[in-house]
Amino acid sequence: MIYYILTVIITLLIAPLLLGFIKAFKMVLLYKKPSSIFQPYRNYSKLLSKEMVLSQESSDITKIAPFLVLSPLLVVVLFLPPVVSEAFYISFIDAFTITGLLALSTFFLMLLGLDCASSFGGLGSSREAFISSIVEPAMILNIFSISMMAGDLGVGKASVNLALVFPSAHMASFIFAGISFFILLLTETGRIPVDNPDTHLELTMIHEAMILDLSGFYLALIEIAASIKYIIFSSLFASLFLPFGLELNPFLATLVFIIKLILIAIVVSLIEVSMAKLRLFKVPNLLGIAIVFSFLSLITFYVLGA
Amino acid sequence: MFQFDMLSLLFVGLILLGYIPNFFYTLGYLPHVQRKAHFIIHYIAFGLSLLGVVLANNSIVFLFFWELMSLTSWQLILTEANNKRSTLDAAKFYFFMTHVGFVFLLLFFLIVSGGNLEIDFSHMHDIASTFAYPTLLFFFLVLGFLSKAGAVPLHVWLPYAHPEAPSPVSALMSGVMIKMALYGFFRFLFDVLYPWQEEWGILILVIGAISSLVGVLYALSEHDIKALLANHSIENIGIILIGFGMGMIFDSLHLYTLSSFSFIAALFHIFNHMSFKSLLFMGAGSVLHQTHTKNMEKYGALIKSMPITAWTFLLAAISISALPPTNGFLSEWMIFQSLLGSNSIESMSLKLAIPFAVFALALTSGLAIACFVKAYGITFLGLHRSENAKHAKEVNFLMQFGMILMAMVVISLMLFAPFYIYYFDKALYSLGHVSVYKEIFSTNMFNLHSVANNGGVVSPLLLVGLLIGITTLLMVVYKVLGIKVRIHRTWAGGYRTTADTQYSSTGFAGPIRKFFSWLYKPDETIKKVHIGESKTKFSSANYEMHVTPLFEKSLYQGTTKIATMISYWVYKLAHFEKTRYAAMIFNLLLTVLFSYRVFYGDFSWATLMLEAVVMVISIKILIIGETR
Repeated sequence: MIYYILTVIITLLIAPLLLGFIKAFKMVLLYKKPSSIFQPYRNYSKLLSKEMVLSQESSDITKIAPFLVLSPLLVVVLFLPPVVSEAFYISFIDAFTITGLLALSTFFLMLLGLDCASSFGGLGSSREAFISSIVEPAMILNIFSISMMAGDLGVGKASVNLALVFPSAHMASFIFAGISFFILLLTETGRIPVDNPDTHLELTMIHEAMILDLSGFYLALIEIAASIKYIIFSSLFASLFLPFGLELNPFLATLVFIIKLILIAIVVSLIEVSMAKLRLFKVPNLLGIAIVFSFLSLITFYVLGA
Repeated sequence: MFQFDMLSLLFVGLILLGYIPNFFYTLGYLPHVQRKAHFIIHYIAFGLSLLGVVLANNSIVFLFFWELMSLTSWQLILTEANNKRSTLDAAKFYFFMTHVGFVFLLLFFLIVSGGNLEIDFSHMHDIASTFAYPTLLFFFLVLGFLSKAGAVPLHVWLPYAHPEAPSPVSALMSGVMIKMALYGFFRFLFDVLYPWQEEWGILILVIGAISSLVGVLYALSEHDIKALLANHSIENIGIILIGFGMGMIFDSLHLYTLSSFSFIAALFHIFNHMSFKSLLFMGAGSVLHQTHTKNMEKYGALIKSMPITAWTFLLAAISISALPPTNGFLSEWMIFQSLLGSNSIESMSLKLAIPFAVFALALTSGLAIACFVKAYGITFLGLHRSENAKHAKEVNFLMQFGMILMAMVVISLMLFAPFYIYYFDKALYSLGHVSVYKEIFSTNMFNLHSVANNGGVVSPLLLVGLLIGITTLLMVVYKVLGIKVRIHRTWAGGYRTTADTQYSSTGFAGPIRKFFSWLYKPDETIKKVHIGESKTKFSSANYEMHVTPLFEKSLYQGTTKIATMISYWVYKLAHFEKTRYAAMIFNLLLTVLFSYRVFYGDFSWATLMLEAVVMVISIKILIIGETR
């Protein structure tokens, strides 16, 4: 039990660190002087102590939605796959529920965008609605195929199974599912080929547009939610598609897990510096690739058993 | 005459759960209705006919109540007609489609009852099993019931008819009446046509998958709030049919546990759809009652003046979008699990086909979220988009009470899911299927297990508890920090936000509409008043967009065109060429005689060929004649 609680706490604590790391690493790659990787924590503490400005046009939705954006994601953190083999208590919740909880958080985020009557908010919500509705089938097909390989739909059990018996017989479908999931990671966490988290330009922004009218405490909640969403996806990727290190002793296992997260962060930042943001109507093509790879993964699993 | 087995009682429960909150809502709505006596008589007769349909035990009683249900709902659509063109057309369309369905049902009953419509349903199985073409009977059922349920391609009337009725009636029609068709499916497929062929299940699955996608896509392009909800009924019927089809496929492959699980999922979704769709229609009705318009572009900021309507509508919107921990999520989760059970299917081609159904269902639920963000955000959030929205007030107490009652039904379906599933399981057991309640709740009441061999677990109460707990915790933190709040206007890049600068519902669905423009084929017109000779500067612009449903355009209007052509040709023959007309009657007689032999079971390819040759020759010589 103590390991479980420690894992949850570590996950929550390093979530902003990863975003800070990606930003710093990107700056290094671009020959800039990097910002501190602890910058996100400073931002949060600054936002938490600030006075809050509420829009006079907004309604009660603005007063509850930021909480409901964050809380489903925190619930998901409780159900993430175990990092050390003993930390396996309530991780029986399956991947459909996780998808649903993420969608619940996005639902309130989109309402938040529409609430303050600004055209920026509507713009962000509209784009987010478009993208997240195409993400859903890719995500669910992906879950479908990984659950076949792992022999269980619950993410906790699945990652343990994968770590115990690596599906080397199903390598092809495993890699296809991995590619598809990585695209989903980039899409859902709003990284560069889909959305640019660093700009406030109305032509490109999606996530930032929805939260343009928030400030102070509520903005901090949403920013924390963004970092937690990132760690949910990267730790799912780390446990399901890089399944090793679970059998080590708790300290080493946690270390291996953090190294895996940092590796994913490095790959994400490399993609970010080497690619331009896609036009909004090119994004479905990228997601189409994700959907096709999930289908391929399922079909190779069924037909070839590979 | 009547029967009270578990399935009937289950659907009686469904009707009561849908009708009682609706009744209170209707009492509040009544002052708004002009023809009160007409409305009340038909409203009560409609409720009784619904009960009659599910309790009937022989064909004549069933058909009587079925027809009564269609006619009373047809009259209810016409309550507020006032010679309005759209309402009259919708009612005509509804009347026509429902009777097409009725004809097929009548054919079905005439065959399976051996001509005696008064025998009990339980005796029909023996007669049906001696009939040579069970697939024909299955098609009669599909055409008869699915035309009522509004599954593709027999759905075109639904987005016209349901919105034109007074709002409480729309709620009853979408929530309860279309479920009667599914009751018919359960009753007659299980009791009369039991050993199913594998292809039947696949057909139902395909219809379900297509219906769900078509329904949600046309819902997204709608800006009439009630038509949007009616299109969502098509979607949800599709989802139910996916569950039902999977149940049939599993049963024909002898995977009985999975089959029961899928049917329970379908039944659960029937109940869920009844609850949230009724609530949504009541909410839409309240908004319509206050603003006197169905156009979503004229709403906005109604959450400030109509809080009860807004919050109950939000609950229903979350539930219909299948977001956890609501009841809509639970049943869709079960349907996903049953699709996932397809990995125990042996047949490779079938196994490869199921992921496409998963894809359709997943895309549907993704688009449903987008659609309800649009419906909720445009209606209740932002600024008032018209004068009507500005003067809206909360509806009267009875209407509020109806909505709150229905919200309770939604919440009870979420919290007491094991209780409901227990009765769904009992109903299936009474229909001769295996009981899976013990497998679903194998550890305790709180964890819902899938029966598929690597299925998942979901615990609705745990999810509700955690969500509420964590949200409260965060709110407590907010209160403890004691943050100062300043009210200021929305930042809009230096300009003032006005009602016109907000996103409209057409604009919100813009990206999705553009992506699916190959399906929608929208008629877009942009009118600009240019300034002088300039090509880029304009003083005013007007953008109009209309979407005609593809099925209506191709299938229905095409059929109408062909029917018109044929009838014109026959008219010409009948009035100007009497001999040929007589020859045509002769040919018709030949067709009847020949087809009678086919249906009688005396069928062989040789005689069919011979008869076809005789027909072709007589048509060529007697009717078409020599072409000049």
